[in-house]
Amino acid sequence: MTRTLAGPPAVGRASPGHAKQRRSRMSRHQARAGVLFATPPMVLFLIFTVLPVAGALGLSFTSYDVFTPPQWTGLQNYARLLEDATFFTTLKNILLYCAMFVPVMIAASLLLAVALNSRLPAMSVFRTIYYIPVVTSPVAAATVWTWMLNSHYGPINEILGFFGIPGPAWVGDSSTAMVSIVLVTLWQGVGSNMLIYLAGLQNIPTHLYEAAALDGAGRWATFAHVTWPQLRLTTLFVTTLSLIGAFQLFDQAYVMTKGGPGNSTLTPVYQIYETAFNRLQMGYASAQAFTLFLIIVAVTVINMRINRSDET
Amino acid sequence: MHATLTRRLAAAALAVATVITTGCASSGSSSSSSADGVVRLKFWGDWSGEGEQQFRTMTAAFNKTHPNIQVEYVVQEDMLTKFLTASTSGQAPDVMFWDRWRTASYAPKNVLEPLDERLKKDNIPTDRFYGEAVRELTHDGKLYGLPLTVDARALFYNKAHLKAAGVEPPKTWAELEQAAVKLTKREGGKLVRAGLSMDDAGLFSMYLAQAGGQMVTDDCSRTAFNSPQGLQTLDLWSRMIKAGVYQSGFEKGLGEGTDAFATGKVSMILTGPWNITTYKKYGKDLDFGIVPPPSGPQGGNASLMGGFGLVIPRAAKQKDAAWEFAKWWTAEKDNAMLWAKTSLNIPGNVQASEDPFFSGDPFWKPILDTLKTAKTRPACAGYAPMEEEAVIPNLQLFLEGKADAQKALTQAQQQGDRVLKDNNLN
Repeated sequence: MTRTLAGPPAVGRASPGHAKQRRSRMSRHQARAGVLFATPPMVLFLIFTVLPVAGALGLSFTSYDVFTPPQWTGLQNYARLLEDATFFTTLKNILLYCAMFVPVMIAASLLLAVALNSRLPAMSVFRTIYYIPVVTSPVAAATVWTWMLNSHYGPINEILGFFGIPGPAWVGDSSTAMVSIVLVTLWQGVGSNMLIYLAGLQNIPTHLYEAAALDGAGRWATFAHVTWPQLRLTTLFVTTLSLIGAFQLFDQAYVMTKGGPGNSTLTPVYQIYETAFNRLQMGYASAQAFTLFLIIVAVTVINMRINRSDET
Repeated sequence: MHATLTRRLAAAALAVATVITTGCASSGSSSSSSADGVVRLKFWGDWSGEGEQQFRTMTAAFNKTHPNIQVEYVVQEDMLTKFLTASTSGQAPDVMFWDRWRTASYAPKNVLEPLDERLKKDNIPTDRFYGEAVRELTHDGKLYGLPLTVDARALFYNKAHLKAAGVEPPKTWAELEQAAVKLTKREGGKLVRAGLSMDDAGLFSMYLAQAGGQMVTDDCSRTAFNSPQGLQTLDLWSRMIKAGVYQSGFEKGLGEGTDAFATGKVSMILTGPWNITTYKKYGKDLDFGIVPPPSGPQGGNASLMGGFGLVIPRAAKQKDAAWEFAKWWTAEKDNAMLWAKTSLNIPGNVQASEDPFFSGDPFWKPILDTLKTAKTRPACAGYAPMEEEAVIPNLQLFLEGKADAQKALTQAQQQGDRVLKDNNLN
C-alpha cells in the first residue's frame, strides 16, 4: 500500500529528476564538446599570441639584438622613446591618416552598401567588383597604384588633365603622399566593410520601414531615423576595426613611398620594422610596439565611449 | 595590412622563447659531415630567379672540382630574418651572400667569423681585392668576409638626346648643370623630359664627396655634412631645380619596364652597373653611354661604391670547408672571372676585374674607371639609419622647395646627430 501509494508520486518525482539528470548529462556533454572545440584555437592563441606578446613586453625593458642574450635596461627604452622625434613624427602621421581614412571609410562603405542593398540580379556582380580589391595582394596593388598615380605619366593625372585639372604629384610630394595612401587603402578595404554593412542592412526589420512609410517619411528621413540608428552597432564594429587597422598601416607606406617624401608617410609600424629588423634593436622596437599598442587601446576605448554616448 | 610584420615579430619573439626554454640543452648534435666523408655545405643567399641560376653555376663548378665538399645553394628570400632566428637555434648556414655595408652592424655582434688567420695561413694578400670593399668588410681591424662583387655609380646618358641638344657628356659640375638644362624639355610648362634624374636624394653623399665634403666625422660620432661643401651641393641642386630640370615625383612608380631613363623621359642618370643589363633589355631603342660621374667644383672625383661579399657565420659547423669555397670563388682569379661573366658583375678580385671582358667593353670600362675613386659608406651602424631618417627626408623637402638649403642641412644635422648616437653600437 505504502508502496502503491508511494509509487505514482515517486514516478512523478522521478520524472523531473530524470529530465534534470538527462539535461545535465546533455549539458556536460555539450560543455565537453565546447571545450574540445575551443581548445585548439585557445592553445594556438596562447602559444602564438599571448606568449610572444608577453615576451615582447619583457623585451621592451631590455637591450636585445637577437644574437646575444637580452640585457635588462629598465625603462631606458621608454626614456629614449620620449626623446625620439622620429617616433613622434610617425604618431602625428598616423593620426592624420586615421582622421582622413576612418570617416571616409565609414561613409564610402555605407554608401556602397545602401546602393547595393537591392535584390536586382546585377547587384551580385557589383558586390563582387567592389570586393575584388580586398582579395588583391596589398603589395602588388600598391605597386600598380604608384604607377597610376605618377605625376606626369600616370593615367590618373592624364584623366584629370583631360578635364583641365592639373593633377598633383601624389606620392611624389610630401603634402599629398598621405592622401594617396588614404585613397589606395580605401580602395583596398572598402569592400569588406561594405559587406558588413550589407549584412547589417539586411538585419533591419522591414516593419520599421513600413511604419516609416506610413508616417510619410521620405528617403532621407527613413535613412536618418531608421537605417542609421539601426546600424549603430555595425558602425561601431566597422569604426573599431578600421581604427585598429589604420593604426597599423605598413604595406602601402612601405611600397608606395618608403615613408617619404620628407618622412610624411612614415608610420609607427614602419619605424618598428626598421628598428627591429634593419637595426637589430628588438628591445627598443618592442617598447615602440607596446607604446603603439597602448595608444590603440586608448583610442579604441574613446571610440567606444563616444559611440555609447550616442545611444542616449 | 600588417600580417607580415606581425608574423615576423611573432617569429622573433618565438625565437626568444625557444632560447629561454631550450637554452643550452640543444648543443651541436647534427653534424653536416656524413659517413662517406663528404662535407655538405649550406650556402644562403637572397637572390632567386636568374641570380639563383648564377649561384648554381658556381656551386656546380666548385662541386665538380671538390668531390669532398658539396655545396648547396638555398634561396632565403628573407635571409637576414632567417639568419637571426637560425643563429639562436644553432642552424646557421656555412656561407652567406652578404650585402657588405651591413658588416658594420653585424660584425660587432660576434656573429661573423674573422678570416685574417686563414688569409695569412693560405698566403692570400688582401690587396688581391678592391681596397674599399675590404675596408667595408673590416671591423675593429678584423676582416669578416671576402669581396665578391664591386659596383659604383656613374653617369648614364642618352646618346640621342645629347647629340640632338649638341652637348658632350659632362665632365664637371658646371658641364653637368649646363647639359641638364639644355636637355630638359617642357611642353606648355609641363615637364616631359628631365635633363637629369634628381629623384634620389640619397645621392647627396656622392655629390658631397665630389665637392670634397664628408657625411660624418672620421670616428662616426657626429654628422659633418652641414658644411660649405654641403651648401655647394644643394646650391647646384637648387640651380637645376629653378631652371626646371626636375620636379619631385616625376619618376615615381616607373619600374623596370617603364623606367624613365629606358623610355627616354630622363636624359642623364647617376646609377650603377646593375642597370646596364636592364637598359639593354628594356630600352630597345635606347642608345646609351656611360661616363664616370662629373668632378666637383674643386676637381674632386668620387662615387658611391657598393657590392656583395661572402661571409662565414660564426655558428657555421663546417668553417674549414666554407673557407675553401669562399676562397675558391673570390681569391682565385679564374673562378672570380667565371662568376663575373656568369652574373655580369665586376668581381671584387682586382686581377679578374682587369680582364678585357670588362676593360675592353664600352659599358664596363667607365665603371672600372669610376671604381678607382669610389668610396664605400662610412662603416658605422648608425650611418644608414642617419641617412634614412634625417638626411634623405630633409633633402626631399628641400627638393620640393619646402625648405631652403641652410635650413635643410641644419635640420638634417640636428636629427642626424641624435640618430647616429642612438644607433651607433659603441
